[in-house]
Amino acid sequence: MGDRPAYQRLVKRHLKSISHYVYRLLGNPKDTQDITQEVFLRLWINAQKWNSEKSKLTTWLHRIAHNLCIDYLRKHARMQTQDSFEDEVIDSSSNNEESTDGKNDETVRVRTALNALPENQRSALSLCHYQGFSNKEAAAIMNISVKALESAIARAKRNLRKTLAETHKD
Amino acid sequence: MTLEKFTRIIDLYGCKSARWPQSLLAECESFVTNNIEARTLLNQQYQVDESMAKLEVPDFPGLETRVLNQSLPERNRGFFEEVISWLIPDEYFGKQVWRPAIAACIPLVFGIVLGNYFSFGIGIEEDGFQYWDDELAMLSLTDYTETNF
Repeated sequence: MGDRPAYQRLVKRHLKSISHYVYRLLGNPKDTQDITQEVFLRLWINAQKWNSEKSKLTTWLHRIAHNLCIDYLRKHARMQTQDSFEDEVIDSSSNNEESTDGKNDETVRVRTALNALPENQRSALSLCHYQGFSNKEAAAIMNISVKALESAIARAKRNLRKTLAETHKD
Repeated sequence: MTLEKFTRIIDLYGCKSARWPQSLLAECESFVTNNIEARTLLNQQYQVDESMAKLEVPDFPGLETRVLNQSLPERNRGFFEEVISWLIPDEYFGKQVWRPAIAACIPLVFGIVLGNYFSFGIGIEEDGFQYWDDELAMLSLTDYTETNF
């Protein structure tokens, strides 16, 4: 199999997972697409650097995505991401027929609560809760110890419980 | 069991008791039954999990095409990889089959050239031809029919 067919095959296999992870970290579709594209460009350029004995390809790709997202979040003001999130929610609620049944409010609350989490907590939660990685794999992606990851998840869950409990009271 | 310890278990293993450590399962279940704060905590975490499950990621139409069609730079391939890709091309292998055939002939040509220039210690004696000539002459002189077996 040549380089390009192999590339195409890998894109088809991993695109969904990577784009979902990036979206959960950044929260806006435009930058999600840019970063996802960049992840696969890095895959093309740095393919020789992947060590199959060290990590699974999906772990390696998530690590690239994670690093790009962290760079992105550090470069851009956090408020900007927050605004994008809210803009998107407003856009979707105006187009969504379900906006009146309260489902969208719940989604907005959860999204806002998730987005309010520090990036390491959001990332830890996304990797373990949504992406289905084990704690060990998620820790490797984030380049932290398993204990630090567990601590981040615990703090993320506490923060979410607290935020959602407060919004429910309101 | 304390509330703090139970909170830690919920944070690490989630709401489903099936995922709680076996060694602490009975203790946790008893704690939930008898402690109102533990039940509140469990309910809150259920709500969080449910809300998180509802959170969907939008579709990105066109993203796959965009990623597949992005302009990819030429990759710096190593010498070995270059040679292999020349010998066994990805496309039109049928038309390029002469390449591996040529490659297979290289050792043969190399051997002929080398053998032509170097003797490798195998020398032909100068009087070798004469020796063979004498041998043939002697054979023709000898009448084997008279030999008594």
